[in-house]
Amino acid sequence: MPQASQVNPSVIDTLHAAGERPAVVYRYAGDRFLLLEYGEMVLDLTMNFRIFGLNEAIKRADIDGVIETVPALRSMLIQYDSLRLPTRELVETLKKLEDAIPSVDNLSIPSRRLELPMAFADQWTRSDIERYVKYTRQDAPNVINGHNIEYIASYNGLKDVEEVIQYLCATEWWNACIGFWPGLPFMFPLDPRYAIVTPKYNPTRPWTPEGAVGIGGPCVAIYPVASPGGYQLFGRTIPIFDLQQRNPAFKANPILLKPADRIQWVRVTDDELEAIRARVYDGTYRYKLVEYEVLNVKAYRRFLDSVKDEVAAFQRRQAEAVKHIPIP
Amino acid sequence: MFEVLEGGIQTTVQDFPGRVGYLALGTYPAGPMDHFAFRVANLLVGNSQGTAALEVTVGGLKARFHDRRVLAVTGADMHATLNGRPLPLWESVGVESGDQLEMKTVKATGFRAYVAVSGAFDVPDYMGSRATFTVGGFGGFEGRGLKKGDRVPLGRGDGIDRLIGRRLRPSLRPPYASHWEIEAMRGPQADPDYLTPADMQFFFSHAWKVDRNSNRMGVRLESHKWQWARTSGGIAGGHPSNILDNGYAVWTVNVCGDQPIILVADGPSLGGFICNATLIYASTWKVGQLVPGRDTIMFKEVTIEEATQRARDLDATISERSIDRG
Repeated sequence: MPQASQVNPSVIDTLHAAGERPAVVYRYAGDRFLLLEYGEMVLDLTMNFRIFGLNEAIKRADIDGVIETVPALRSMLIQYDSLRLPTRELVETLKKLEDAIPSVDNLSIPSRRLELPMAFADQWTRSDIERYVKYTRQDAPNVINGHNIEYIASYNGLKDVEEVIQYLCATEWWNACIGFWPGLPFMFPLDPRYAIVTPKYNPTRPWTPEGAVGIGGPCVAIYPVASPGGYQLFGRTIPIFDLQQRNPAFKANPILLKPADRIQWVRVTDDELEAIRARVYDGTYRYKLVEYEVLNVKAYRRFLDSVKDEVAAFQRRQAEAVKHIPIP
Repeated sequence: MFEVLEGGIQTTVQDFPGRVGYLALGTYPAGPMDHFAFRVANLLVGNSQGTAALEVTVGGLKARFHDRRVLAVTGADMHATLNGRPLPLWESVGVESGDQLEMKTVKATGFRAYVAVSGAFDVPDYMGSRATFTVGGFGGFEGRGLKKGDRVPLGRGDGIDRLIGRRLRPSLRPPYASHWEIEAMRGPQADPDYLTPADMQFFFSHAWKVDRNSNRMGVRLESHKWQWARTSGGIAGGHPSNILDNGYAVWTVNVCGDQPIILVADGPSLGGFICNATLIYASTWKVGQLVPGRDTIMFKEVTIEEATQRARDLDATISERSIDRG
């Protein structure tokens, strides 16, 4: 018989930070989901790497009753069958797994590398941005000369559109998680020297072309389908979601990207993009995807350490620029 | 074959538990908004509980059968008729080729009805499920709601005669009301770190009005001025409801700024707002029967022990033991 209702706090259990391991909080998300969080609410890609280490560990452990895992920036949502696997037992198993995860420095995360062609400040995003100015907000400060890309430049203290493009192409983009819309990636720059940031649209934009790419805060997203959106657009790429599975890349399922993929932009013209998009749909284009790569976190952290002065210099430049730029 | 004469407001093919296993690729499970009525409909016609069947929202479905089958309609009362004669709810009946099913609109209470036939609505499997995901436009019948002229194939229906006249015992038929009590658990992001204890007390004691603007993605509740336990979302954004994006449990209560929204079958899988409570498996079905713009909800807080006991009880109810003969 159920006992008289006595409330559960939302936190089931915690682990204090110890050595390399961040603090861990285990939260109820109803009776079928559990939410695990690492560390503090800060943007730190090493937390995301640890999430992937944990994800691998959970998969390897093959825990009876775990249905699926949803990695995000510093958290992981786990769906489980609480009738087969009591919550307490799942938490104990997860706590033990924390000891089994190698320190972040020793993690090697399986990570595919994908080159995607990108037409910067292209005609298709331009058209929807112009519609926004016409029908939604005529005085939008984030639209300069009919596009967002000059605003991105000025907000980050970059001298022109060319420098924005140079920055965006200078780093690989780490797909921390997929969500909201089927196949929509949340990507962050692996090279923080090129970590541009922007505020979001206000109000949001009712139209965005499929394949548009934009940035909101520090995060870059590709729009899998034509939809409303709030990110500052800087270009358009090829499809990452195709229901009709017209290209071999979509044969297994209509969603191309996975968490832990790395994306590299390759600059093309509008005409070139249009030609490639046609070949995607007639099935002859081969996505430039390298399957068997890993991200070595130790090497990556050494790299971060080697560039920290340059990162700080860019952040000062951004902080100075922001003072003079209106927020939408 | 099931020939659609009128599709109604929104009639979709669903299965249960839907498209499970794709949350990490951004895809919520779809499936029925009321899994109790859905599963019982299948049980009545001798299908396994998850078999593809129709979810009829509000009403307006009109269709003709071209095969002999067993049919069951469950859920909200929409004055369903077969060849103009009233069709009992929660009970299986035989249909012959040429028979015409017609559903008008919901009466006083309830919002969705379910139509199961022996042998299933035979739509293709897409990523492991036949459920229609209305947001992505995939699954089910051509990824969309049914409309006039659609001809939906039906699977083989065997043993028809012994499946006619099966009823869910009247005492087990759920009462539909305009004020609902829905069991939920606190969290993942509640008090004391995101909201105040007083906020949560309000949440679990207020009669929340269901907003007119509700659908298979989200069931919106009225906005509320929360006290909040913090002044901003820090790096995640200026508002204290903002967090760094995380996965959303299905059937969680997402607090977007001031407005709570229950994320339901076709909702977003991930986002940057707190979720202060999550409905329990045994109670999510009630959400499918809420009438937008009219009904109110009181959330009743339960423990994990109570939630799992209710889950066992619900699953036990949807079984042969609950069926009698009319």
